[in-house]
Amino acid sequence: MFDTLPSRDWNSEAAAHLLNRAGFGGTPDEVESAHKQGLTATVDRVVEGATAENGSFPAPAWAHPENIKERRMEIRAAKEEGGTEGIDKMKEFRQMQNANVLDLRRWWLERMATTSTPLLEKMTLFWHGHFATSAEKVQNGYWMWLQNETLRHHALGNFVALTKAMSRDPAMMIYLDLQQSQKEHPNENWARELMELFTVGIGNYSENDIRESARAFTGYRVDMTNQQFRFAVRQYDAGQKSFMGKTGTLTGDDIIDILAAQPACAQFIAKKLWRFFVEDEPSPRIVDGLAARIRQHKYEMRPVLREMFCSAEFYAPAVRLTQIKSPVQYLVQTTKLLGADLPAPPVAQNAMRQMGQLLFAPPNVKGWDGGKAWVSTSTLLFRYNFANYLINGDAMRPAARGPAMATVPPRNPIDVAKIVPAELRDKPGELVTLLCQRLFGGPGPERERTAFVQFLEKRAPDTSDQTMRELLHLMMSTPQFQLT
Amino acid sequence: METTLHTRREFLRTSALGAAAAWTLPVFLEKTFFALDAMAADAATQAATGKDNTILVVLQMAGGNDGLNMVVPFADDIYYRSRPKLALPADKILKLDDYAGLNGKLTGLKALFDEGHLAVVQGVGYPNPNRSHFRSTEIWQTASDADRTESQGWLGKYFDSCCAGADPTVGVAIGEQTPQAFVAKRPTGVTFSKPEQFRWQPSEKGGGALSAEEVFFRQLNGMEDDAAAVPTDGGSINTIAGGNKPNQSALDFLQRTALDAQLSSEKILAIARKYKSTIPYPPGPLSASLSMIARMIAGGLPTRVYYASQGGFDTHAGQLNAHDRLMTGFNDALTAFVADLKQQGNFDRVMLMTFSEFGRRVAENANGGTDHGAAAPMFVLGGKVKAGLFGKYPSLSELDHGDLKFNTDFRAVYGTILEKWLKAPSETVLGRKFTTLPLVG
Repeated sequence: MFDTLPSRDWNSEAAAHLLNRAGFGGTPDEVESAHKQGLTATVDRVVEGATAENGSFPAPAWAHPENIKERRMEIRAAKEEGGTEGIDKMKEFRQMQNANVLDLRRWWLERMATTSTPLLEKMTLFWHGHFATSAEKVQNGYWMWLQNETLRHHALGNFVALTKAMSRDPAMMIYLDLQQSQKEHPNENWARELMELFTVGIGNYSENDIRESARAFTGYRVDMTNQQFRFAVRQYDAGQKSFMGKTGTLTGDDIIDILAAQPACAQFIAKKLWRFFVEDEPSPRIVDGLAARIRQHKYEMRPVLREMFCSAEFYAPAVRLTQIKSPVQYLVQTTKLLGADLPAPPVAQNAMRQMGQLLFAPPNVKGWDGGKAWVSTSTLLFRYNFANYLINGDAMRPAARGPAMATVPPRNPIDVAKIVPAELRDKPGELVTLLCQRLFGGPGPERERTAFVQFLEKRAPDTSDQTMRELLHLMMSTPQFQLT
Repeated sequence: METTLHTRREFLRTSALGAAAAWTLPVFLEKTFFALDAMAADAATQAATGKDNTILVVLQMAGGNDGLNMVVPFADDIYYRSRPKLALPADKILKLDDYAGLNGKLTGLKALFDEGHLAVVQGVGYPNPNRSHFRSTEIWQTASDADRTESQGWLGKYFDSCCAGADPTVGVAIGEQTPQAFVAKRPTGVTFSKPEQFRWQPSEKGGGALSAEEVFFRQLNGMEDDAAAVPTDGGSINTIAGGNKPNQSALDFLQRTALDAQLSSEKILAIARKYKSTIPYPPGPLSASLSMIARMIAGGLPTRVYYASQGGFDTHAGQLNAHDRLMTGFNDALTAFVADLKQQGNFDRVMLMTFSEFGRRVAENANGGTDHGAAAPMFVLGGKVKAGLFGKYPSLSELDHGDLKFNTDFRAVYGTILEKWLKAPSETVLGRKFTTLPLVG
């Protein structure tokens, strides 16, 4: 189980696979350099290099705590005075939060697109889907940003520490109503999801476990004067609790430690991790094997990821180019491969929403289902048409324009010369080979290759930029381009 | 079954391919048809398409509709005591019996009730009600128990078990997102908001004959030509569509979706262009969705289930005016929709069901609004629906955490619709049997 990939199998397609899955894809140059570097050195760079220091990125200007309590009191006072001022103030506050969340999406997408430590962002995205929390309920940009930084801080660190951090994360606490939990009436929302979705999975706990652990998490509060976690000792139920066979004055952290010690927990994380990085339906052998490694490494993710990315199983032919790109992967990888800029924030936001993965707004606490759930007739057609927009710019603006879109700057067509060498424009066969390498991470599907070449031949002698852009759009308007 | 199959092939050839080169069905589709033949004996499988079949329209009222102010217990003092600001005066209520009546804005629905086409199911909910929008919506969409998380939708399960091999448009959701109710093991159904955007847009400008780009696009998205159908690739293990890889499920799935999108987009656009109603619809998104559905029905799209939604029901503050506007929009859109269906002669084929993830608390809150509640009424209407009040109005004094207690499980309504209207085995879809209600006349 998890033998290292033999070095003879490390080729440029294997390198492309690693960069796709452990990050957001590589340009042909990046793939070639990883190939030359070799498997171990590349995995070292990808995994060991993925540190917060290496991946640092300035915070958005607005991302600092404020005194929400004071703000709410101001609004209330203005409302009591009557007139429209209170309502205006409330509207203004909401609009500011919406603008901040929009900017937060820009900030993270840019970070993904430009980072030198893509695995750090990819793992942060993994945890964002795992500890799913939505701005639609939290309604605050700072809290969502803070959670994102906490996820990143622990992304390749220890899962148990991360889970404890999430239990004290204001956005999570608000999302699952933990901050409202009272000693007399413990709220079970967080306790239930902690077990069902974050650690051991359904079927591995009892209703009594939920009730008892809910008591252990009482006293967790959000201080509205500085937007930080605070422990209200008077709200904490310090009594005896019985949880999964242990009895004592258990705290929330005790509960998380007990959960992590359950075999089901490592299994649960192993399955999710393999599904995210490798394949939709991992075999029990893989899940057991990976769970054993997770336990061996005491939930330290960095060595687990390292072994995973070196393993022959990760590079198995059957799993290559079989993963449906998530909308975020699609967006970041495509702009990268086209040598284009990310679309303007409202466009990116609208596109993520329509493709079914709006960052900071997972549909529910289960996160995104992923895999085939990314694709429906409307999302697939949207991807095809969105590719058109990314390539041709404003000539093809996707979907409806809401008020937020009115301020969007025009987008120009991509600079074809960046990815199409002048000397290959009139050599359809060679050009298609080169572009398939870039867009499909390999020689490309045979039948489709033939069609691309025929298209160019049909267009000859026209080798204009517009024809090249049409070719690119055609290449991206395929089922195969949705895979990575 | 023969007919369905035949129709689908015919459809493939005529609507999408036109006079283009000779094409064959892609391999993955042939596989589907083989599987279909094998399933023909299965009693659960039914021919799902055709112009004469019954149609279900599901209307989601998202955000938690205040059932108490939609079907008003005007004869109950507790209602007035609990809602000093929000209670609707008894003389404005459109009385259904001597206890409850419709919100005064629902004049069209009252007329339908009197005509014998509106069923009001009272006190609908489920055990251990969840008061989270997300979770409760999920429960309604997946028809799961409150303590179970399921990912497949109840309509998805219906498509899976009863509509295998049907045209992709067997389920049509108007909107941008596929509703969770449609999520299935084997996805069926299309989602679109504006037909003119529900099509592949080539880079080239200008119209007329099929451009080279479009011809190739079609070739790339599901249709193989005879020459290329011969496997040519044996050398590279890393090609995406190399014919030798064992696990092609993601690709098969994408190819099928691409084909579905392409086929249905042409059909939908054609219907949208051809069929326009002469019935005036009021402005608003729900109205636009229902009008689109009416056009699709008129055009004979072989759809069994349509899905539309109206948002804005989460009225925590300043509810009085907001809910009035919502009720007016709801009433006017439905009234136009019914008039349209009647004019088409399709009202007898259509049943519309409303639902919301929960009702709202009996007592109003301090902000002139109401908080998340539990049980609430559902409307079921259509030409063949048996009018009347079903279930019973939950007691306003015996509450569960301040909320109405349900007496009819929402899955009994789903089960009734599945059994009596869609003629589907409800137990297969819902996992168990629920008592059938006499909603269909």
